[in-house]
Amino acid sequence: MTITRRDVLLGATATAALMPLAARAQTSEVVIGVIYPFSGASAQQGVDAQKAYETALEVINKDADFDLPLAKGEGLPGLGGAKVRLVFADHQADPQKGRAETERLITQEKVSAVIGTYQSSVAVTVSQICERYQIPFVSADNSSPSLHRRGLKYYFRASPHDEMYSAAMFDFFDALKKKGTKIETLALFHEDTIFGTDSGNAQAKIAGERGYKILADIKYRNNSPSLSAEVQQLKSANADVLMPSSYTTDGILLVKTMAELGYKPNAIVAQDAGFSEKALYDAVGDKLEGVISRGTFSLDLAQKRPMVGKINDMFKAKSGKDLNDLTSRQFMGLIVLADAISRAKSTEGEKIRDALAATDIPGDKTIMPWKRIKFDEMGQNNDADPVLLQYVGGKFVTIFPPQAAIAEATWPMK
Amino acid sequence: MLTAEAIIQSLASGLLMGLLYGLIAVGLALIFGLMDVVNFAHGEFLMISMYATFFLFAFFAIDPLLSAPLVAAAMFVFGAVVYLLIVRFAMRAKANAGMVQIFSTFGLAIVMRGLAQFFFTPDYRSIPQSALGGKTISIAGIFLPEPQLVGALLSIAAFGALYLFINRTDFGRALEATREDPGAVALVGIDKNRVFALGWGLGAALVGLSGAIMAIFFYIYPDVGASFALIAYVTVALGGFGSVFGAFAGGIIVGLVEATTALILPPSLKSVGIYAVYLLVVFIRPRGLFGSM
Amino acid sequence: MDKNFAARRRRDLFVAAALAVIAALAPLFVKDVYVQNILILTLMYAALSQSWNILSGYCGQISLGHALYFGLGAYTTALLFMKFGVLPWFGMLAGGTLSALIAMGLGYLCFRLRGHYFVIATIVIAEITLLLFHNWDWAGAALGIDIPVRGDSWLKFQFTRSKLPYFYFALVLACVAWFVTWWLEDSKWGFWWRAVKDNPEAAESLGVVVFNSKMGAAAVSAFLVAVGGSFYAQFVSYIDPESVMGFQFSLLMALPAVLGGIGTLWGPVLGAAILIPLTELTRSFIGGSGRGVDLIVYGTLIVLISLALPRGLVSLFSSRKGAAR
Repeated sequence: MTITRRDVLLGATATAALMPLAARAQTSEVVIGVIYPFSGASAQQGVDAQKAYETALEVINKDADFDLPLAKGEGLPGLGGAKVRLVFADHQADPQKGRAETERLITQEKVSAVIGTYQSSVAVTVSQICERYQIPFVSADNSSPSLHRRGLKYYFRASPHDEMYSAAMFDFFDALKKKGTKIETLALFHEDTIFGTDSGNAQAKIAGERGYKILADIKYRNNSPSLSAEVQQLKSANADVLMPSSYTTDGILLVKTMAELGYKPNAIVAQDAGFSEKALYDAVGDKLEGVISRGTFSLDLAQKRPMVGKINDMFKAKSGKDLNDLTSRQFMGLIVLADAISRAKSTEGEKIRDALAATDIPGDKTIMPWKRIKFDEMGQNNDADPVLLQYVGGKFVTIFPPQAAIAEATWPMK
Repeated sequence: MLTAEAIIQSLASGLLMGLLYGLIAVGLALIFGLMDVVNFAHGEFLMISMYATFFLFAFFAIDPLLSAPLVAAAMFVFGAVVYLLIVRFAMRAKANAGMVQIFSTFGLAIVMRGLAQFFFTPDYRSIPQSALGGKTISIAGIFLPEPQLVGALLSIAAFGALYLFINRTDFGRALEATREDPGAVALVGIDKNRVFALGWGLGAALVGLSGAIMAIFFYIYPDVGASFALIAYVTVALGGFGSVFGAFAGGIIVGLVEATTALILPPSLKSVGIYAVYLLVVFIRPRGLFGSM
Repeated sequence: MDKNFAARRRRDLFVAAALAVIAALAPLFVKDVYVQNILILTLMYAALSQSWNILSGYCGQISLGHALYFGLGAYTTALLFMKFGVLPWFGMLAGGTLSALIAMGLGYLCFRLRGHYFVIATIVIAEITLLLFHNWDWAGAALGIDIPVRGDSWLKFQFTRSKLPYFYFALVLACVAWFVTWWLEDSKWGFWWRAVKDNPEAAESLGVVVFNSKMGAAAVSAFLVAVGGSFYAQFVSYIDPESVMGFQFSLLMALPAVLGGIGTLWGPVLGAAILIPLTELTRSFIGGSGRGVDLIVYGTLIVLISLALPRGLVSLFSSRKGAAR
């Protein structure tokens, strides 16, 4: 039998017709699309994200005694208790696939909103397609500063972006300098994809503005088999602060190579990513006593706000890890989105969008050390205050800003 | 900034890494050279060797240095099995044999990655403590990390042993002869399949050895083979297919070129140096430096 | 030229026309956007693979670096549009021409290489270009190029929701690639290529003609692939070096031809028709678990098909039809 293109088409059409088309939920259920890498090099991030969202789902759909939007009571009050259902899709870190999957989520699964994506490059296409379909997209954990500046109406980001994070780092440096610590020279070390490039650019710009000297600006190929040459250059520069923007794999190799080449930096202030991952500290934590990373979230907030600890326990039960920078943003992103849908009292994209734009959640009703959640006209929350965390004795301790800090920074690293 | 010490350190690190690249590549060179077969799953062979080393450490607390021979032996079996189950049929292809080899091993690579993700999860593993891990020797201010140093010495030893094996032993000559003329050797009573299976086993065992050493200082996850695979292919091609010594020389050249390029260009472009040197070499010598095929 | 050959060629042309018409009518029946997306990708890969086949299948110069031309096409169109306001239609021609010229230049340098040496050379050349673009700030470096889509426009070849214009473009491209292959098969170039592929040394006696024919194959192949890349840039509206110049793209261009039947007229089409829907559907419906099951399925199928059918899927049909060599 000759298999013609026609047969393939008819087969595909039939399959599509048989797939359960979840009708846009009226009152019983709200469907949200979650798009992450579930295969390939960053598959672990997708797996972790899934656990974070499932934790948020528990809080929303079941009755939970937290001072958090939607925690009390089951489901979304604005829609008569409708429960939220998540549909997961894999974008394999490819912008084109991200777009195709998002379109499938919107047209076949009939999601009311989309949340994602880990990789900023995929967020570009996912947000574009959501804009075209007028479906809100919540950028839970993308930190590229350019994302909210593209004139999109349906793009929302509750968490900080790289310029805000980098500014916090330099605020910290300024504060230390005022107390007499010598911080004049910096070494930037960043990988070469969007994350590293944005981070490196932001840091270089702010350093210039605030009078810090950059002795080395090293861009390296991510997932390099060897970082000896790069570390050698860092060692030669011997700056006051090493500022890495690296993912887990490169972070592990960086720390090991530094030990191999006998380079002990005065201080390391990292742009998160790999430096907030358990896998990195399992591998090289013993060499990182005193490392500082920017963050969005600090676990020690649980001391002042017990619900943070309880929610962390819920997450840990599912994943075996503590909430970290990424998973906390993912958790919060879904809460914010679901809250908006509830306030919109509708599952229509435009109404949800307007509700998101009207969001105003005070910081203490979140698990984040932020002032509040309120989106500007570009969809960015400018009140998401980053924090700086220091790895001390196997735990992360918040050291900056003063209102969130529970300890003084140890400087230099031991 | 670019002191003499920094340059010497870069070159020393590059040399060690180059010898390691050579060790990773020699298995590929062997299989290439003797059977004219591309193993597109070479990076994945490295990956499972690293996982095997990791699990021997995690479950039985066997130091990678000690488990290296075990891993090599296990990989020997694995390599032979891959030949018997897949490659043997690929080589029989009456048409497009080259493409069939490339794509059947490419499919194998994808399956191996999927299986690794399925069984081990995509999370990153690392061996935290081992006999050599994290230790460095310092000679005149030049740091030589012990795992890479041992790996480099092992690489030299492996090449030497392989050279002797191929040129001085009966089996080695049988491998050569089988490559030259499979039909003729059958007449002399040599089973082509047996010889090739053992050849694949040997190639895989060498990768196993390098994987065990790499596991001491490198991170492990399902896609870890990808970064090394391309370097391995370029190393072998640079040295010339069919030449074990070529792979050795190729590795050293690649390591040194990589280190030197990073001194001149931004490090994110250091691979460009390797690729450019490859193109330069084959432009002048289309069969690589020492290639015979 | 025997009667059978001429008849086969007429039949091929007729079948292709019929399929094209059926495909053109498909959107009437297929309204689901996701399925339309799969169709577009299938057509695109059929076009790309068919073009690749011209150089690597017919001419026997296996290239695993064709993503270079795809990426050049994509970037040329995107950069000309974003930086200089040049319409994508002209950008496509520019990208195609640039790629053809570069292909000939690279061919001049690399055609002396044989077998695996040539393959690796194509891979590293594509990698070098990827790294250069990755570090080239003016071209967006790692941030890529984001093409804003503000409304439907044929001039700018961008559409907000409708996939039909993209579908028809991809269909036309696939038809053009197929037709060029069909036409070249029976031309003197096709004759030279078969000679080159079968026995380069004997063909050497034809002297400089062999070299020119390889150059021609390289140029045509690169031009069409670059147009595909331009299409892709407009279709996805965002490109970055990894997504358009990556090695996995080079493999994906070759895979349909290899599985369908390398060096044959119908191989790439058949291969794309099977492989692309398979890839997309396994990812969408088995992939979301993070367990790698879709990879296992996909990889196993590639191994099985390549081993069981060395001549590709076309060999399942009559031994005459489609088998060029």
